[in-house]
Amino acid sequence: MKASLRWMQWYAKDSAALQAPIDEMANKIGAQLGAIEGIENLGEKYQGIIIAKIVSLVDHPDADRLHVVMIDDGGVAQQVERDADRHIQVVCGAQNLYVGMLVPWLPPGAVVPESIGKEPFVLEARELRGVKSNGMLASARELALGSDHSGIVEIDADAKPGDDFAKIYELDDYIIDIENKMFTHRPDLFGQLGVAREISGIYRQAFKSPEWYQLRPQFPQPTAEKLPCEVRNELPELVPRFTALVMGNITVKPSPLWMQTHLLRVGVRPISNIVDLTNYYMLLTGQPLHAYDYDKVKALSGETPTLIVRYPHQGEKIVLLNGKTIEPRPEAIMIATDKQAIGIGGVMGGAETEVDDNTKNIILECATFDMYSVRRTSMTHGLFTDAVTRFNKGQSPLQNLAVLAKVAEDVSRFADGKAAGTVYDDNEIGDRQWVHPPVPVTTSFVNERLGLTLNADKMKQLLEAVEFDVTVNGEVLTVTAPFWRTDIEQREDVVEEIGRLYGFDHLPLVLPLRVIAPTRKDSLLELKRTIRAQLAKSGANEVLTYSFVHGNLLDKVGQDKSHAFQISNAISPDLQYYRLSLTPSLLEKVHANIKAGYDKFVFFEMGRVHYKGEVDAAEPEVPNEDDHLSLVIAAADKTARTQAGAPYYAAKKYLLRLLPDADAYLAPLKGFDFKDDEWGRQLCMPYDPNRSAVIVWNDLTWGIVGEFKSSVVKALKLPVHTAGFEVGLEMLRHAPHKTYRPLPRFPKVDQDICFKVSAEMPYRTLHDFVAQKIAALQPEQSMVSLSPVDIYQRSDDQMHKQITLRVSIANYERTLTDEEVAKLLDEVAAAAKGTLHAERV
Amino acid sequence: MIYQDPKIAAIAETLKARLPELEVKAEILKAVELRALFDAIPLLPTDQRAAYGKELNQLRGELQRSVAEYESQADALPGIDVTAPFDCNVPLDGHPAMLPSEYGSKHPLMAELEYVLDIFYRMGFTAVESREIDDDYHMFSALNFPEGHPARDDYDTFMTVETDKNGRQYIAPAHTSTMQNRVLRKYKPDLENGKPIAVVIPGRVFRNEDLDARHEHTFYQLEGVYVGKGIHAGNLIATLKTFLQEYYQKELDVKTQPFYFPFTEPSFEFALSCPFCDKRGCNICSYSGWIELLGCGMIHPNVLRAAGIDPEVFTGFAWGGGIERLVMMKYGIEDIRHFESAKLDFLRQFS
Repeated sequence: MKASLRWMQWYAKDSAALQAPIDEMANKIGAQLGAIEGIENLGEKYQGIIIAKIVSLVDHPDADRLHVVMIDDGGVAQQVERDADRHIQVVCGAQNLYVGMLVPWLPPGAVVPESIGKEPFVLEARELRGVKSNGMLASARELALGSDHSGIVEIDADAKPGDDFAKIYELDDYIIDIENKMFTHRPDLFGQLGVAREISGIYRQAFKSPEWYQLRPQFPQPTAEKLPCEVRNELPELVPRFTALVMGNITVKPSPLWMQTHLLRVGVRPISNIVDLTNYYMLLTGQPLHAYDYDKVKALSGETPTLIVRYPHQGEKIVLLNGKTIEPRPEAIMIATDKQAIGIGGVMGGAETEVDDNTKNIILECATFDMYSVRRTSMTHGLFTDAVTRFNKGQSPLQNLAVLAKVAEDVSRFADGKAAGTVYDDNEIGDRQWVHPPVPVTTSFVNERLGLTLNADKMKQLLEAVEFDVTVNGEVLTVTAPFWRTDIEQREDVVEEIGRLYGFDHLPLVLPLRVIAPTRKDSLLELKRTIRAQLAKSGANEVLTYSFVHGNLLDKVGQDKSHAFQISNAISPDLQYYRLSLTPSLLEKVHANIKAGYDKFVFFEMGRVHYKGEVDAAEPEVPNEDDHLSLVIAAADKTARTQAGAPYYAAKKYLLRLLPDADAYLAPLKGFDFKDDEWGRQLCMPYDPNRSAVIVWNDLTWGIVGEFKSSVVKALKLPVHTAGFEVGLEMLRHAPHKTYRPLPRFPKVDQDICFKVSAEMPYRTLHDFVAQKIAALQPEQSMVSLSPVDIYQRSDDQMHKQITLRVSIANYERTLTDEEVAKLLDEVAAAAKGTLHAERV
Repeated sequence: MIYQDPKIAAIAETLKARLPELEVKAEILKAVELRALFDAIPLLPTDQRAAYGKELNQLRGELQRSVAEYESQADALPGIDVTAPFDCNVPLDGHPAMLPSEYGSKHPLMAELEYVLDIFYRMGFTAVESREIDDDYHMFSALNFPEGHPARDDYDTFMTVETDKNGRQYIAPAHTSTMQNRVLRKYKPDLENGKPIAVVIPGRVFRNEDLDARHEHTFYQLEGVYVGKGIHAGNLIATLKTFLQEYYQKELDVKTQPFYFPFTEPSFEFALSCPFCDKRGCNICSYSGWIELLGCGMIHPNVLRAAGIDPEVFTGFAWGGGIERLVMMKYGIEDIRHFESAKLDFLRQFS
C-alpha cells in the first residue's frame, strides 16, 4: 500500500503527526502500523524544476519543427544566460506552445525526472542547430507523469513564473510503501484517509475525517434531464449493498494535473476525468467504484437501461476492459443489462460499456462485493486489479453512499455532470452506525493481555483519536468502532487496537513464571539425537533430502507409484510424490559425490515416509507417518577394488550398532514371505534379493539391509561398491541398554575352533549352535564370549566353507585349564558333527 | 494387480503370460495389444477416460517393473550369506570397518536444532515434531483461517491428489502452526492442573515456490506455544528476547512490528538488533542494524476455543521462525539450496 505524505496531509491539516520528520514517522509506522517496504523521496526527483511563462515564440531559423522560445522564469534561475529583458532562450520542438503559456522548465543542471533511476540525464546549455538552448521544457513523459509525449505540459494551477514546480503540485512528497499483508484485516487502510488517520492515532493525536465522509450524506438534486435506469440485485448474499447514480451532461476530458499527479505518485495511470475520479476516491477511501457509459448500457438493454447483479448464464462470455475475453466461473458476480453481461462485479468492468472521450452520460456504481467471491473469481481468471486488492479484504458496506455522493459532487466540478436521477440504494441501514455491534470490555481484560496498567480514560483517549466512540462506565468501556472499520468484533480486537496505539514497544518485558518441575524431552527427538551422534562418530555424514520425489525415481528403483501420495500442484516437476522410503533419495545423491572426487563415504538421513491408505493410529483422519533411518555406503570403483568382500557387510556393520540385537534377526530377502505387507515389499524393492536381508523384529518387517539391484545400479549410476539399509526408528527406540558383566578375577582361556560346513549353511546356524552348546556344557560361573575369526572357501572345494570361531572363557571362581576348555570344544565339535554335519578341521 | 476394465484385464493376462517366453523382455512394452489399448483412449466417452487411462498406466507400470525384475536377475551377482559378519576369504585386515570419525558430521540444520532445543528445554519447554502431511482443518480451519480467506493465499501450499474424509485435499504444511491445535489439546489437562502449556515444535515445512539462493520449497521451522493464566504480550517479547540472548550469548535489543496472522491477535514481526555488528551495520543485517527473524503474537481466542481452552481464563502466545536463516547467518552460508543438496563438499565442512 503506497501512501503519499502530502496527500495525507490534506486530510490532517490540524494534526502535527503528519508534519513529523519522515525518518521518525517511518520508525513509528514500522513499530505501530506495519513493516515499511520502502520510502520514495519524490521531492528529489522534481528538484529544480521552475514554472516559466512563454513570452515569445519564433521558428528555428535552421530546423523545420523546432521553435526558439523566450521564457520568463521570474528571474529565479542562477547562472543562466539572459537577454536584455532578463528572459531565457530555450529551443523546443513541441507543437502545443503559445505565448502566455505556463510551462515546466528544467534549467541547466536539472535532471530529467524520467531518467532518474535509469541513466540520469543532466541538462546543460547547448546549441541545437546553431541556436543556444538553456535546459528544456518538459512533456508529461519527461516529467515521469504519464506516457504523453505529444506536447509540453501546461501548468493548470494557480502559479506564477519562478514558482517551484514541485511545490505547486506538492511533488515535494514522500511515498511510503507499507506491506499489504499487514492490512489483510484492515480494508480501511487501503485508502490514504485510513493511513492518515492511523498515523495521527499512533502519535496520539485526534483525527477528524472530512465532512463528506459520513454515513448519510446529501446527494445533489437531479438537475439534468431524467435518465431512467432500473437496478436489480439478485445476489443480496454476495452483494450486500449496491448503490448507483445516473449523471448526465458529462464532458470527458483529462483531469486536472494535480489529480493526475496524485494518481501517478501511488502508481495509478490517469485516463480521463471520470475514470480518474473513481480511482481517486478508491485510493483515498479504499472503496472501489465503477463508471459505465449510460448510452452504451442503454444500447445493450431492452426497453429500459438496466443493471442486474446476477450469476453468469451458462456459457456466457464477456470482453473485459483489459481486452481479454473470458467465460466467468459459474459463481462469479456479474453485472449485466437485461440482455447481456457488462462487467464482473468487484473484479473488472467490461469493454462494451467503457467510458470514452464521447461519453455524455454515466452510471456511477458504488457497491460492496463479497470478499471470498471476489477472491475466487480473481484467482480463477488471474485477474488482479486494485479493486480486487481492496474488495478481497472486505470493505465496509457503510461507506458506499459517502463515497458515491462525493464522487458525484466532483463529477459536477470536473466534468460538468449533473445528477439525472436519484440514488439507487438497495440497503436501508437505518440507525446502524457500525459494521459490528459495540464491544463492552473491562480495563482489566485489556491490561491483563498487554501487561499494562492503563486507566479507562487513557484507553478512551487512544481509541477516540482514531474516531472510535467510547463510553466509560467505571471500569467498563463500551467501544463502538467507526463505520468504516470491519475488524472490531470482539474484545481481543480492542486489546490489539489499544496495544498498538499505545505502542507495543512500551510493554513490560517480564518472563512468565513456572514451577521447577523438569520438563520432559521428546523421546523421538532424543532418539534421533543419539543416532545422529553415534553415526557421525562412525564417520557418516548426515544428509537431508526432499520429502517429495520425481515419479521417475520411483520407477528407477521399482517402487509402485500408486502407493505414494501424489502432489497435485507442484510448480517443479521434481516434486511429484511423497516418498515411500528414504533409500532412493540417498542413492540419487551418490553419483554426484563420486564425481566430485569422494572415494568412500557413508550417508544417512532420518526422515518421514508415507504410504497411501495407512492412517495415523491416534488420529485416523490424517495419513500415517513413519520415521525412518536410511544409510548408504558407497566407494568409487577405483577404491572398491581395494575393499575386500561384498559391501553388504559394511552396511550391516553400521546397522548392527543400532539394532536391538537380542530379538531382531536378518532373514534373506530372497524368498522372504511379506504376506500382505505391501509396504514392506515396496521398501525392499531397490534391494538385490540375492544380497540383502530383511530386518525382522517381533514378527514384523522393520527394514532391509543389502546391496542394490543391477537395474537400480545402472539407472542411478551407482558404483559397484554400494550398499545400505533402511529401518523404522520405532524399532530403534527399543535398543537394549548396555549390559555389564563383572570382570572375572581369574584369567581367561582363548581357543579357536574351526569347522568345515556345507557352503550353503548360514554362518548364523553354526554360530548359534556352538553358542548354545557351550552355554549348556560350560562350567558353572563362567563368562563366555564367541566371536568370528575367519570364513574361508578353498578354491578347489566350492561345496564347502570353513568357519573359525574364537571362544573366550573365564571363570569367576577358579582358573580354567587349557585341557578343560579343549575338552569342552571337543564335545561341542562332536555335537556339531552329529547335528550339522560340521567337520572339525 | 487386479484391473477393473475387462479389456485391460484380459490383455494384462495375455502379456504377463507372454513375458517369460520373450528373449528381450523389454519388447513386451511395445506389444501391439498394449498400443491398441492406448489408441482406444480418444474413442472413449470423456467421463471414462480418466479411470481407464489410470488403469492402463498401472498396467504399463506393472510390466515395466516385471521387465526390470527380469533384467536384474539376468545380471545378478551371486548370493551371499547375509547372516555372516564378513565375506568369505577376506583377510583379517579387510573385515568391514567404519569410516574414521573425522569424516562424520551432523547436518548443520539438525545440529543447530539440537542447540536451540537445549535452550528451550532449559527454559521449561517440551518439544514435539511437526507433521509432513496434514489436513485442511489443522493447517487452516483450526487456526482461524475462514474458508476462502485471502490469508490462505499467503501460503503457497502443496496439495495432494488424495483427499480426506471431507473430500479436502491433504496439505504439505506450510508452517509448523499446523501442530498448534494438537499440542493445545494434548497439554490442556496440564492447564487444569495449574501448569502452563509450553511446547516448541520443530519440523519440516513446504512452500510451493521456485528455488533460488534464498528460497527453498522445503525448510525447517520452529514453532513455540505458551498458554497459561495472565499471559500477556510483554511475556511474549521477553521470552523471545531471553531465548535469543542465550542463543547468541550476548545482550540484544528487540523490536516488534505489527503484523497480521489469522491465528494471533495482536500479531507481530519480531526483530533483534544485529548480533554480528551490534547495530553498527554489516552485510548480514543489510546495514540496517536489525534482523527480522520471526512472526509471533498472542494466540487468537478462536484458536484456543478450537482446542477446547477457555480464552476467558487462559491466554497465551505463539511464534514461528526458520532454522535455515540462523545457520546461514552463523556460518555465512551463501545458498540455501546447499542444505538439501547432500553435497559432501558442504557437509564435511561441519565434520
